[in-house]
Amino acid sequence: MSKIKSLFESGSFKSAFIPYFTLGDPNYHDSIEFGKTILDNGADILELGIPFSDPVADGPVIQRAAARSLKNRFSFDEIFRVTKAIHDHKPETPLVYLTYFNPIYHCGITKFLDRAKESGIVGLVIPDLPFDTEESETLFRELKVRDMDLIHLVTPASEKKRIQALSKTSSGFIYYVTSFGVTGERREFSVDLKERIKFLKDTIRLPICAGFGISTPEQANQISQYADGIIIGSAIQRVIEENGSDKTKTVTALADYISKIRASIS
Amino acid sequence: MGKNLPGYFGEFGGRYSPEILTEALEELESTYQKLKKSKKFKKELEYYLKNYVGRPSPLTYAERLTKLWGGARIWLKREDLNHTGAHKINNAIGQALIARFMGKKRIIAETGAGQHGLATATVGAMFGMETVVYMGAVDVERQNLNAKKIEMLGAKILPVTAGEATLKEATSEAMRDWALNVSTTHYIVGSAIGPHPFPTIVRDFQDFIGSEARAEFKKRNKKLPNAIVACVGGGSNSIGMFHAFLKDKQVAIYGAEAGGLGPKPGEHSATLTYGKTGFLHGTKTLIIQDEFGQIVPAHSVSAGLDYPGVGPEHAHLSQTGRVEYRMVTDEQALDSFLEVTRVEGIIPALETAHAFHVARDVAKDLGKKKDLIICLSGRGDKDVTEVLRLLGERK
Ligand SMILES: Cc1ncc(COP(=O)(O)O)c(C=O)c1O
Repeated sequence: MSKIKSLFESGSFKSAFIPYFTLGDPNYHDSIEFGKTILDNGADILELGIPFSDPVADGPVIQRAAARSLKNRFSFDEIFRVTKAIHDHKPETPLVYLTYFNPIYHCGITKFLDRAKESGIVGLVIPDLPFDTEESETLFRELKVRDMDLIHLVTPASEKKRIQALSKTSSGFIYYVTSFGVTGERREFSVDLKERIKFLKDTIRLPICAGFGISTPEQANQISQYADGIIIGSAIQRVIEENGSDKTKTVTALADYISKIRASIS
Repeated sequence: MGKNLPGYFGEFGGRYSPEILTEALEELESTYQKLKKSKKFKKELEYYLKNYVGRPSPLTYAERLTKLWGGARIWLKREDLNHTGAHKINNAIGQALIARFMGKKRIIAETGAGQHGLATATVGAMFGMETVVYMGAVDVERQNLNAKKIEMLGAKILPVTAGEATLKEATSEAMRDWALNVSTTHYIVGSAIGPHPFPTIVRDFQDFIGSEARAEFKKRNKKLPNAIVACVGGGSNSIGMFHAFLKDKQVAIYGAEAGGLGPKPGEHSATLTYGKTGFLHGTKTLIIQDEFGQIVPAHSVSAGLDYPGVGPEHAHLSQTGRVEYRMVTDEQALDSFLEVTRVEGIIPALETAHAFHVARDVAKDLGKKKDLIICLSGRGDKDVTEVLRLLGERK
């Protein structure tokens, strides 16, 4: 059984808290500290962003993070080294990568997966790789062999037929995109969010975690009433953006923010 | 995907875009399939192309260039004579009609040289649609005349400052806007790039270039030309020129891409020469990228060629060898720009000047009594200030 599957089956939480941050912003050394802090303060699953030069599914905050990260010399060796250090700090917490498909393809799918697994990664989220592509099928097969998960995105615009078809090549959990557009904090979500998540739960036998736009403890609390997990990226990245040059300050601010969100959905 | 339309060209193409856009792409695909078969749509499109754009564009015999170059006879397919001064309007009208049919009231576009932005702003004005154009902040500067025209037409320009602040970033930003406003908005992609069905739709709307040129040349000369040449940015004027000739094996086909300052990464936009297979802006194609799959910024003297990817159909045509793609440096393009201007009395776009440079070599190699058609994709008014600046630097 995959690590994510057993985590959700353990029932150790009402709703999972899944924070995200981009590796390498402002540098790889500090990323290790940020990762440890987030793990210590209540992440159930941690999403690590591998920066990409053209993140079309991301809003300005995460775009800027990727750009800052890429000012440092990018290398997969560095990515895997940092991942391993974060993983070793708390090996029981599942780590997943969020990245675009081009870097993975370029690295080579099997090579990438072998090294990711060694570093403690148990799943992938790839916003520009739709399930109905040959590459997605290959990736899914290779992940299965390694007991890793392919987490697909479902959006308010996804039709029923597509959702049903998508369930064949997805595992771990479903990343339900709460609103139209790209990542970024929002004040409001689509009105039928609750109904959509209910519908998804009835259609796919996977935990449904909601993300895109969530930032406050109140929002997290509200959505956790019906979603199996809460994903937060931009709001965390903003904490890093605002304090990143001062590592101690960032660590304190991250600890504070992460523990507040964790408490709000318990 | 693509039961009737090809989603892939060999191994290239497909749909690799965020899930939020899938429904819109499927709606676009099915609408287009329907409209493609509709006589009414065809008539409407042809009406605007004839009465608004000024098609068919003439095929000019370039007597003085022929003499100067001393090789094959040179013919020019005059897309510069279209309303708004380039081939981009063909596609903008076609897609605006589709958008109108789908009931979308807002259109958006990305633009590099500003020609596609100008074309979109123009059809936006004509059809009374709210129009937003994303343009790299650097391009707003170097193509300022077009930026001004776009605003004058009532469209909104949103300058993009991320990254290199050119066409790549403008494209990403337009995709993000579409993801946010997908139910009310149609994204008029400006070149034969992007997720399926865009490369096919754009190619079909530009196919008039090659079909007209082929028919007219044949009528006047009772044969086909020996070679055709076009410049390749994203690849829309070139695929439009090439498509009607692909099956004519006796016609040699050449694409001219931007060699920029030289072969170093970051100094050129020569995707078909230096690109490797990858995924960018929704399509699998050749892309200029580094050893880790990060996209390398492109460079070209002409804003319309300054893009690190290329339409997937070109990637395929390059792989199969049907089309030969050659690089032209900034300097060579500038020389051709001046040469054509002085010899033929036609100021070509800097993009097109790349095609002229390749054409000169091809014409010489072909020798006399052979024929070569160049797609003159657009006029160079927009480039005059930039060219004067570059000439100043040369001194
Ligand atoms: C006059 C002209 N020619 C060529 C191009 C290159 O684009 P494409 O390769 O799509 O024809 C542009 C782009 O802006 C242009 O304005």
